[in-house]
Amino acid sequence: MSFTEALSIAARSVYIAGTATLLAFTWSFPLAYTMSLGRKARLLATVLESLVGFPTVLVGLLVYMLFSRSGPLGFLGLLYTPYAVIIGEALLITPLMTGILYRVLETTARRYWEVAVSLGASEGQALATALREAFPAVIATVVMGFSRAIGELGVALLVGGNIRGYTRTLTTAIALEVSKGEFEDALALGAILLVIVVSLSVAARLLLREERP
Amino acid sequence: MIELRSVWFKYDKRWVLRDVNIAFKRGTIVVIIGPNGSGKTTLMKVAGLIYKPTRGEVLYNGVNVWSLPKQKRLEARRHVVYVHETPILLRGTVRDNLTYGLKIRGYSEDRIEEEVESIVESLRLRSLLDKKTGELSAGQSQLVAIARALVVKPQVLFLDEPFAHLDREKRSIVSTLLREYARGRGMGIVLATHDEYLAEQLADNVVNIGEIQGGQNIG
Repeated sequence: MSFTEALSIAARSVYIAGTATLLAFTWSFPLAYTMSLGRKARLLATVLESLVGFPTVLVGLLVYMLFSRSGPLGFLGLLYTPYAVIIGEALLITPLMTGILYRVLETTARRYWEVAVSLGASEGQALATALREAFPAVIATVVMGFSRAIGELGVALLVGGNIRGYTRTLTTAIALEVSKGEFEDALALGAILLVIVVSLSVAARLLLREERP
Repeated sequence: MIELRSVWFKYDKRWVLRDVNIAFKRGTIVVIIGPNGSGKTTLMKVAGLIYKPTRGEVLYNGVNVWSLPKQKRLEARRHVVYVHETPILLRGTVRDNLTYGLKIRGYSEDRIEEEVESIVESLRLRSLLDKKTGELSAGQSQLVAIARALVVKPQVLFLDEPFAHLDREKRSIVSTLLREYARGRGMGIVLATHDEYLAEQLADNVVNIGEIQGGQNIG
């Protein structure tokens, strides 16, 4: 495998996992926020937390059935496209992101909301303050979601199909190289994956250290 | 003045406040004593207009605050400040924290500067002003939390265990300042504490929370 191809696969992986993370965030955050306002959301939070360990291959299978030609969303023609992988990964990391964001909003944000209110903030000002204070934890959650998305194999393989130059990601490429007995290439791709995940984590830590009080 | 009339407060399935009737007047220092879990903090938060009571009324200057429209309620809330037992400071510097309450009230830059100068002088916080809040000790954090509340000059101030992390010198500075605010400026000050010595030293009235819990548990 050429270096250019490896880089292209890495870039595609970052794009797919990044978009999936953003997509998951767009519904996880409002859901977590709504849950944090209600007192009876703990049961839902427990259910979401138990879904964090949902097998990726099972998510892949469900998304496959959803987008397959005879499936309910088959008419969209998304199977074996990067979009199907993005949707599948977004669904996969939704319980993780919603569960953690709920805890963040329930504890950190609520605490700071209360401080703001106690100092005379309007509801809008208190919400803005609470979100500002919860920002580092929100960033950490996004990084966790991305790391889970970029490192998963089941969804990418089942609904992406590992098509060269189109849906091949780092994890599907590693699986392919191992099946061919090309362990050097697999290790090189694994190293790239590790560098991406660790770099992002370190970058987030540095950002949050700057942001810390 | 803040008055609680037949206030009940339920947390999860437990009644924490049961038919509480009490008034906190301007110019007096009231100390609330009681064991852990007796409802001191909840009482302070309900009286501090943070929590809405499950039943009953909280009156500010004779008006039921929770029946007011949002804007009017906000105006009332801005005269009442509550300080948490564990100091919770906002990210940023001590100055950011001290200016927070003034900024959200829309004060001018000059006035903010003037008010901050005054409280910094009173509580000897100058050396901390540009420090990040994460670099402060527990005692310094508590002092900043108290300063942040005093700087907005509330009519009624609720302080939950305000001396817990303070050394003797700082306790003395804060006690003197609280007396000055109560006597000189007519601020109503309500403290929750376990410290009965402190209660005797500072209080015009000492209230045992067990004695103001009126009603029996209801479903």
